[in-house]
Amino acid sequence: MSIVKEVLKNLLSKPITIEYPRKKPTPVEKDFRGRHYADLKKCTGCTLCAIECPSNCITMEKLPENIKLKHNPRGLYPNINYMSCVFCYRCVTVCPVDAYITTNEYRLSSVKEVFSRELTLQTVRE
Amino acid sequence: MERATSLIKIPVTLEIPIGPQHPAIHEPILIKVYADGEEVVGVEIGTGYNHRGVEKLLENNTFYKDKFIVSRICGICNTVHENCFVRAVEYLAEIKPSPRAEYLRVLVMELERIHSHMLINAIMAEIIGFDTLFMYIMRDRELIMKAKEIVSGGRVLADFHMFGGVRRDIDEVKRDKLIEILKKVEPRLKYYRKLFENDPTISKRLTEIGVLKTRDVVSHGMVGPILRGSGVRSDTRAEDRYDAYDEIKFNVIVRSEGDSLARMLVRWDEALESLEMCKYILEHLPSGPAIVDERKLPRTFPAGESFTRVEAPRGELTYYIQHTGGSKPYRVKVRTPSFNNIINSGFSYLRHSIADVPVILVSYDPCISCMERAIVVNLRDGVEKKVTLKEIAMGKVKL
Amino acid sequence: MSSIKEIEDIFSSYIIGKDTVKPNRPRFHIDVSNLKEAITLLKQRFGEEALYISNIIGVDKITEGIIEVNYFIHIIPLANTIVIKVVVPRDKPQVPSLIDMIPGAYSGECETYDLLGVDFVGNKYLKRSFFVPTDVVSRDIFPLRKDAKV
Repeated sequence: MSIVKEVLKNLLSKPITIEYPRKKPTPVEKDFRGRHYADLKKCTGCTLCAIECPSNCITMEKLPENIKLKHNPRGLYPNINYMSCVFCYRCVTVCPVDAYITTNEYRLSSVKEVFSRELTLQTVRE
Repeated sequence: MERATSLIKIPVTLEIPIGPQHPAIHEPILIKVYADGEEVVGVEIGTGYNHRGVEKLLENNTFYKDKFIVSRICGICNTVHENCFVRAVEYLAEIKPSPRAEYLRVLVMELERIHSHMLINAIMAEIIGFDTLFMYIMRDRELIMKAKEIVSGGRVLADFHMFGGVRRDIDEVKRDKLIEILKKVEPRLKYYRKLFENDPTISKRLTEIGVLKTRDVVSHGMVGPILRGSGVRSDTRAEDRYDAYDEIKFNVIVRSEGDSLARMLVRWDEALESLEMCKYILEHLPSGPAIVDERKLPRTFPAGESFTRVEAPRGELTYYIQHTGGSKPYRVKVRTPSFNNIINSGFSYLRHSIADVPVILVSYDPCISCMERAIVVNLRDGVEKKVTLKEIAMGKVKL
Repeated sequence: MSSIKEIEDIFSSYIIGKDTVKPNRPRFHIDVSNLKEAITLLKQRFGEEALYISNIIGVDKITEGIIEVNYFIHIIPLANTIVIKVVVPRDKPQVPSLIDMIPGAYSGECETYDLLGVDFVGNKYLKRSFFVPTDVVSRDIFPLRKDAKV
């Protein structure tokens, strides 16, 4: 008898799986460790995150000519390669000025390499 | 011309490679089975498909980078790897985490134990051809993964530990969510446990299969649920009382049968036990700080040696660190439970039929990325095989 | 702690040094020629169903020209792991194999041989490319030695 009950229950219930890319994304927590990038309003270009990164995915790059920041005398900013990032958030916790902006965005798969450059530079353009 | 009057058939020992792709569990390991008819007469376990030189890598990186590398040795049991490494370094530096941090560490490790035990039981159901049960267990396992995501911020890789504490804390809202999830999981776990005990399909495939005597298990150095499934009361959590295990009450599950079913039931009972522990932790979480400020931690650690043990879902996991000063360890040795359980397991497949080999392998809960190496030749079986062939050749066996 | 003292008594004629591995694992330094007798005594005292080899860890000390081999033996009734340390010269590292007494030594001995080149005399199953990829083996280097460039 129990099998009939089980069958009926499963026939009438919604599917447990999600059609991932087509419909709404998988629900994740607000503080899920997702895409993160540096905020140039705070970043001092100290390169500590690049030194501490366990997967060596952060490279320090020169700021473009038109951006001059007083608190960033060396003119450097971290550029994260999300393809080799392991999302351990060591850079976030080790940053002396809390310059990293964290999101719960996890949909990062791509055929090309994805970098945080654009997102980081946007923080001062606004 | 003389006519043949009789036909002589020579029984050839079949060599059947099981693996290296998906032998039973979806991981790379080669089990070369020598079979005489249906009976297994010899087993070679060939691995090394996954050796990544982690120990050398750990020697060349700082402690802080190592902390994240060790948690990537294995996906399923990443927090126990972290815990073991972090505690080894804490013993060196004589740092003591706060009580709240200790409780949270245990919470994450116990959640991990539940989902790991559910996974291997689901795979066991799949191996014996019970795919519906596999789907059911995996569906309910998803709830535990969610709980782990709520606590640590990652479904699989927690990255939760840090020297001297943890990296995240939980608030009241998260606590209520977790209790809600645990309430949902509990009846399911009890149901599956009952199913494994009573279901005729499962018991036919698992009882009396892969029976291990206490003496063999101990002398071959097998650990964890295998040891406890064969009647040895040995649980690192109860022996070492690390972190908050000295304050949280739990029972060590021991069964005396020693067969595959006993091992699986030990896992279900442990999962239920872990669930109780999680509930206890959430109700009795001490207040105070838990998160450690990573910017204020020391760059270097004092020289010394430490050896830590952790009860991973698969058994005893050990880390040995030798440090001669500076920011990098001199030598790190990781000994994972699967390293002992799988490499030394060659003797246990003998005299079972070929169809039982995957069942026995899965009942050991192999984690190849943990083990990452090794080849076993069981010579005793080789001798047996030679004798048979010789006897045939010398006409001692009636054909 | 009285039981730890008991082990000390068992080993008393062999011990050439003593220290502790953090947090609380007693370590006994033993000459390599006495290793087998010490393990036999230990087995006699605690019985076959009470101890297993948890670990065999080799450490290459390049500055001193030695290789340390630490045997971590877990004793179930004591609920603790004791350590037996033997020291062998780096250019001729030979240790008697324990595989005939404790079959569980197999995994640890094979691994230590493949990664550090410690020869366990009496173990017939030792072979290269146990873990190490064949390209490294063909260059005849032991990857965990400190002078190995892998």
